[in-house]
Amino acid sequence: MTPSRLLVWGGLAALAWLARGLILPVFLAAALAYLLSPAVAWADALAIRRSVAVGALFAGIIAVLVVGGFLLGPGMLAEGGALMERMPALARQIDVGLDAVVRELAESAPALRRLLPEGGAWVQRFVLNRGPGEPGDLFEHVGHLFLLVILVPFFAFFLLRDMHRLIAVAMDRLPPQHVETSVAVWREVNGVIGRYIRGVVLDGLVVGALAALGLWAARVPYPLLLGAFAGLANVVPFVGPLLSAAAAGLVVVLTPGQGLAGVGRVVLLFLVIKVLDDTIIQPFTIGRSVHLHPALLLGSVVVGSHALGVLGMIIAVPVATVLQETVRLLLEHRRVLARRDRRRRPESLVA
Amino acid sequence: MFEQPLPRWLGWAADPEQMRRAPFLAGSPLFTGLPRRLLARLATRFFEKMYRPGEIVFEEGDPGRALFVVVEGGVEITRATPQGPYILNTLGPGDAFGELALIDDFPRSATARIVTPGRLLILYKSDFDALIEGNARIAVVVMRNLSRLLAIYARRSPVRANEPGAGREAAGPL
Repeated sequence: MTPSRLLVWGGLAALAWLARGLILPVFLAAALAYLLSPAVAWADALAIRRSVAVGALFAGIIAVLVVGGFLLGPGMLAEGGALMERMPALARQIDVGLDAVVRELAESAPALRRLLPEGGAWVQRFVLNRGPGEPGDLFEHVGHLFLLVILVPFFAFFLLRDMHRLIAVAMDRLPPQHVETSVAVWREVNGVIGRYIRGVVLDGLVVGALAALGLWAARVPYPLLLGAFAGLANVVPFVGPLLSAAAAGLVVVLTPGQGLAGVGRVVLLFLVIKVLDDTIIQPFTIGRSVHLHPALLLGSVVVGSHALGVLGMIIAVPVATVLQETVRLLLEHRRVLARRDRRRRPESLVA
Repeated sequence: MFEQPLPRWLGWAADPEQMRRAPFLAGSPLFTGLPRRLLARLATRFFEKMYRPGEIVFEEGDPGRALFVVVEGGVEITRATPQGPYILNTLGPGDAFGELALIDDFPRSATARIVTPGRLLILYKSDFDALIEGNARIAVVVMRNLSRLLAIYARRSPVRANEPGAGREAAGPL
């Protein structure tokens, strides 16, 4: 490698390191772009200019968000406000319960005493009093959130508008003999990611709506908030549904008058939703995009969780599917070429 | 005549590339008879790539995964024989080749080489499959056209197409 090329690569690596904060916004923007791409493809078929189509799409989304905010916003704000008001009392209740469990454990198994955490009022200490350590922290968090809200649609807009041009440039740079397989791999990867993201979002919306309706019917408090949480958590394979059921169960436990029967109803509701999700909803939404063996699926989620935490668990399934498809296509390509080369070899050389 | 998909007053919003591509495909024998709406949807699935003279698009025996349509320039289709490469056909704007990749997974039966600087449209098989899943009409029309082309080639070539001397017109779909 020549020194100038080394310098260019070094500069690019340094630039990538400096811009590492943009990874999450770009990732979320790509997910948003995949989600919206069918609408842009539909506009393409009508021969509408990309910039016009994407601009109109974003205007439509803003309108839907404003209308949705007017319709659902007050209810969710009221639920959120009520929850915040009740939070200190709820935290005290949870702490009392946890203290009792710890005391009971310490009395029944004195050997465990050293292993049990000291002190008490964990929720109050770690959740309620865990305000920003320094005044700057608060601004930092708000700043990050603000940047995400601005940058994600911004990047998504340009990805939707210009991605086809970037692909065209990349295609022209590719050596002709690699074009067909490269297009094959790109289209498979593109298809898998697009279908998976759209499927997961649709699945989350259906599961969230079912959970909100079910919780409302079961007279569990904060059905909208818990439904929204169930829809969001559903993105995380395996763990998400458990977390949303646990959150709803906790709310029921802490609500006077609900009792164990209430917990039973919540468990049954989330069990029914999970069964419906696995047997009816997912085959329609995600089904066609993921063809992973269950063991590989679980393994990818575990590896993703170890590597990147919750984000890793979310992206594990599409990444594993994309890798599987790419390897399959490349191996097939190699096998066909090997067969061709064997056929071309003079017969005397063929063993 | 190919209708404009947008009303005249929305002309400012029209994409010139797409406006050019769909009518162009309508003139290709493989897509003859497709309604404008489906042709426009099909046109969005193509990639475009520039080629220089002498570049090989694909070689005999390569895995076939895409269909190519010549937009500009010329493409020579050859097949290897013991006497050397034999030219089966030379294609120009509007001609399609590699169309058998849309219906089977067999390796390419000939080599395609660019003879004059050109641009090709490339349609990947899985894109075509995804499109026909929701639009059986596309599959019916394209397969009918393909069968017609095969029938023409079969009638024209009573001898085996890969034999030298069978004639340029003996070159069938690849």
